[in-house]
Amino acid sequence: MYHLAAIFPGIRRIPVPFSRDQVMMLMLSLNFLLLSVETYLAHLVSGTIVINEWIPILFSPAAGVVLLLAGILSFRKRNLAVILANLVFIASIVVGLLGAYFHLMRAILPDAPAGQQASIPLFIWAPPILAPLVYVLIGWIGVSTVWTEEPADSGKLVLNGEKTIQMPFSKTRAFFFLTSIGCLSTVISSVLDHSRTDFSNAWLWVPTIVGIFAATVAFVLGLYENPTRADLITYFCAMVLMILTGVMGLYLHIQIDLTSRGEVVVERLIQGAPFMAPMLFADIGAIGIIALLNPEKVSRE
Amino acid sequence: MEKSNNPMRASRTLIIGVMAVLLTLSLVLIIQAVTQSGEPVETEEVDVLANSTNKCVLCHRDESPGIVKQYSDSTMAAAEVACEDCHEVQEGYPGSVAHAGTNVLASPTTAKCTTCHEKQVAEFNQSRHGLPAYIAVEGTEGLSQDLMALYEQIPEGGYAPDKSRNAIAALEGDALTGFTCSACHNIGKPAEDGSVGQCQMCHLRHEFSLEQVRKPETCNFCHIGPDHPQYEIYTESPHGIAYHTMGYEWNWEAEPGTLTVEDFPAATCAICHISGFGATASSHDVGERLSWYLFAPISSKRPAWEENTGRMQGVCIECHNQNFINDFYQSADLATERVNELVVESDQIYGELKENQLLTDAPFDEPIDYEYFELWHHWGRTTKFGVWMQGPDYSQWHGAYEVLHSLAELREMAAQKLAEAGLE
Repeated sequence: MYHLAAIFPGIRRIPVPFSRDQVMMLMLSLNFLLLSVETYLAHLVSGTIVINEWIPILFSPAAGVVLLLAGILSFRKRNLAVILANLVFIASIVVGLLGAYFHLMRAILPDAPAGQQASIPLFIWAPPILAPLVYVLIGWIGVSTVWTEEPADSGKLVLNGEKTIQMPFSKTRAFFFLTSIGCLSTVISSVLDHSRTDFSNAWLWVPTIVGIFAATVAFVLGLYENPTRADLITYFCAMVLMILTGVMGLYLHIQIDLTSRGEVVVERLIQGAPFMAPMLFADIGAIGIIALLNPEKVSRE
Repeated sequence: MEKSNNPMRASRTLIIGVMAVLLTLSLVLIIQAVTQSGEPVETEEVDVLANSTNKCVLCHRDESPGIVKQYSDSTMAAAEVACEDCHEVQEGYPGSVAHAGTNVLASPTTAKCTTCHEKQVAEFNQSRHGLPAYIAVEGTEGLSQDLMALYEQIPEGGYAPDKSRNAIAALEGDALTGFTCSACHNIGKPAEDGSVGQCQMCHLRHEFSLEQVRKPETCNFCHIGPDHPQYEIYTESPHGIAYHTMGYEWNWEAEPGTLTVEDFPAATCAICHISGFGATASSHDVGERLSWYLFAPISSKRPAWEENTGRMQGVCIECHNQNFINDFYQSADLATERVNELVVESDQIYGELKENQLLTDAPFDEPIDYEYFELWHHWGRTTKFGVWMQGPDYSQWHGAYEVLHSLAELREMAAQKLAEAGLE
């Protein structure tokens, strides 16, 4: 179902040169390229980037480029492109899990007395535990995107050759669930990060409320086999709110990082409020909206 | 009842259930995080090494429990930096000793610190806290070519290829030097592995606490006493008054590079000279914000004084307006030049005696040598530091007044010598 057209009927008349899966793949490539910058800046906080921290920094741009190449290759050698893309996404899941493990290890005190090994303040002040899971999410969405669904919204994925696999949900509904997980991990990361302050700044409640709202709406939408137009409008608004929250967060983080007279100090940009982090809200919001695009293949005749 | 013949489709409810659990747990975590927000991590309340099976920890818990206790309170231990990461080196490593079946550096050198703190060590090496501090006492004798090359590259290091051992240190002798000059000047001592400096002079072992290193008492170890009483001057300055009366409320554990007036409403030694604050980035080159060589007998502007001044004023302007800062710099420049004039006068008096061969060649062997030295080394410096750090009692009674007093003494001593030589 072309959900975006159910919200905006006029959109059917606009020819879209790419399929939903292709737009999603482009979005994921862009994600990798942006993540390379973000992880570099995040790992620069300690002043020295150690070996483990180079893994996502080097993996991200390479993954982005390979995905773009796979996209170009898919017009001539689809099977090879699918294998390449799958390898990238599976590697992304591994990188994400590894990162989450390394971050988690920094957040707990394994040799501390029982009961004191983990605490909420430790999670707040440790490297963001959920941040590396963005790689897992991208990998997961990527793997879901790579396989063609035939027919659309059937949940039946065509693997290489003639083999098919029946998934529990249609691709669209799976995207809604993944969007919900994305919103959830984004809002938790944001809350943990913002908990370094005392939440007295009213602006900090905006991403918290919007994130919880969007995660719930996306989850509930995934439950519906046939959502109504009102359901889709609510979801669309939630995703737009996510995007606006991301853009607003970018502005506010930069404002906080500037000096009292508005000067840019590189050290403050790196050590201070991570200016690219809020864009994860916008990113998930955009992925959520892409899920509303037409799941049918684009005819090139 | 509907029956699913596809196992994947049958897992729908399970997936929905897991998602619902995730959502609920996330909400609980969010509520927990919000309710505990703003609370700093008190690692000192947790013995992070309590159940450690690390052999260093196990043995030293009996041998030297103090250092294990300190380290267990540290953020380095919480970050799982092990004793071996800093102390253990390969067999034959310069300065290492065989210890408990391995090779260790009793005191890790900056070559080890730079593994994780590369930027900070590089900045330190460019500063007067590095080699110039050591050379000021020990001279350049015995330094390797690499160290001499490093020394030459320090922009404000006052490079001199054949600096001899400090005359006072030489007179006092080695038995005393370790407890006197070197106790501070070894901050820039080269290690056997060719690296320079001792981070632990400021970052006390083994807690490596941000609060400790940021507090002015840390600088007090060296920057005190008649030759450079910066700590005392700071204490009587408005900045120091703010620290002593309200510093307990300041955010001593604030993340480096993010400090604002919210964390530190008034300046400390670190805020002015090291920490990132306002438009000025943090640096372990402690001279990077200074405009004058105030420690010199006759002060001159530092080679990069304009950039340095800009950096310092980037800190000042967080609390003071530009007119105030400009006026202050203008007045302090004039005061510095006035001290220079008085020291020049002492040079002329002393120089006349030298010219007429009325002084011995040996340093510090007669009272006039001490009077001449103290005039600039103690009183001249104190006046200038008092001016720039806003400690009026030090710039007046411990500084300018003493300069005048010494000048009078010097004049009388010189007149007596000239009279005795029949040259009056």
